[in-house]
Amino acid sequence: METIDHYAYASRMRGINPQLKAAVAMGTLILCIGADRFWVSVTVLLTMSAVILWGGGLTFLKYINLLKIPLGFLILGTVAIVIEISSRPFGYVLFHGFGHYVWVSKEGGVTALKLVLKAIGALSAMYMLVLSTPASEIIGVLKDLRVPKLIIELMHMIYRFIFVMTDTQRLMKQAAVSRLGYQDFKTSCRTFGSSAGNLFVVSLKRAGTYYDAMTARCYDGELLFLSEEKGVRPWQVMAALSYFLILILIYILVP
Amino acid sequence: MSKKEKSIMKLATAFALAFGIVPSAFAMHIMEGYLPVKYCIAWGAICVPFLAAGFFSIKKTLRENRKAMTILAMSGAFVFVISSLKIPSVTGSCSHMTGTGLGAILFGPSAVGILGIIVLIFQAILLAHGGLTTLGANTFSMAIAGPFVSFGIYKLCRGLKVNKLVSVFLAAMLGDLFTYCVTSIQLALAYPSEVGGVGASAIKFLGVFAPTQLPLAIIEGILTAVIVMTLETYALPELKSIGFSKEVG
Repeated sequence: METIDHYAYASRMRGINPQLKAAVAMGTLILCIGADRFWVSVTVLLTMSAVILWGGGLTFLKYINLLKIPLGFLILGTVAIVIEISSRPFGYVLFHGFGHYVWVSKEGGVTALKLVLKAIGALSAMYMLVLSTPASEIIGVLKDLRVPKLIIELMHMIYRFIFVMTDTQRLMKQAAVSRLGYQDFKTSCRTFGSSAGNLFVVSLKRAGTYYDAMTARCYDGELLFLSEEKGVRPWQVMAALSYFLILILIYILVP
Repeated sequence: MSKKEKSIMKLATAFALAFGIVPSAFAMHIMEGYLPVKYCIAWGAICVPFLAAGFFSIKKTLRENRKAMTILAMSGAFVFVISSLKIPSVTGSCSHMTGTGLGAILFGPSAVGILGIIVLIFQAILLAHGGLTTLGANTFSMAIAGPFVSFGIYKLCRGLKVNKLVSVFLAAMLGDLFTYCVTSIQLALAYPSEVGGVGASAIKFLGVFAPTQLPLAIIEGILTAVIVMTLETYALPELKSIGFSKEVG
């Protein structure tokens, strides 16, 4: 499974302190959504994309493919917001029938454009964080935010188990496909269901084995993970603060 | 608007509708940045009591049986993997399960809240489904509202002596549909319609997402029933270890 994590491990910005990256991403997200201004969204989108592409060294094509992931939701959701249905039209009529009109208001298009840009801008800010910070480091940031230890341990373990199970699932799927298990819809449903059930059984057995392994290594209800120390340079903090300042200035000065 | 402009708009709408349905139909995770700040905070706050209840219930389970830790973690990973798999579909578009109904039936609604929010965080940071600011809203619809309905329906059907597989099917399907309704209402509250208010807007969202979500709910119901059937045939002892046994029989 090709996840965003792979790109994060390969990113050139991996050496930067994860807390700083998380703070920049969250600050930018809040400014971008809170401001809800066209030019703020555009600035966020352009700067964050530039950071991802040049700072992180991700190729343009891969980045575009990542931006396309929520496209289905974005298009459907925005269509639902823009299109109005009523018995009397108030804007540009697209269709009418059954005594009702489907229409778009004059402001609808502008609202939609602003919303789409805001969402993509916010998405790029989130990508800046997740494309440069492996999940284990993000969990480390959550730990610093005083998320309960139980949740942090669960997250660390789930993160590891996801890859173990994905691999098992891949092998099972390969075996099923080679035996015509996904030949038609009915067979596919049956194969999918039984292989998912089997996956669960296998993983529960594994869970037992992992517990034994942990107990053998003196697990007494607390898991400790080593996290790399990554220092913050003064110029990085300055850059982050001035970036926020620029966004705020755009919000105030540009209508 | 001239006649030409009108026809362009019509074409654009048709294109948007056709194009919107073809890409992978995910279980309606609200994307990053789509909700205004106050709604992000409000939905997050609404989740807190449910998550606290789940946290204490997990803590209690762990006090009694420490081995449950790895089982819980495996279950979380299982829900993640199941929801990241392409499921068989009739139309050829690629869609995914939510796995929430299954989780609710297997682990109970309170534990699923905590597992659900963790799975949603990983879906956001590993697969870019959903987002960080919309985490609260997504958690409420997918990890709290859906599972609670699934669990309630499952219990109700079992109480009424409905066939077990039928109960599982109904629970998973209706839980999925409920998640879809809750998400539509969440979107409608944030973006009320100019003429009809929140109600009209909710109907628009329900209508737009229906072509992807209705078949998905039915398929999710079928698959969940098949999974539970497999588990009952091959893994009754394991099911007992996670507390499913109370409902078996």
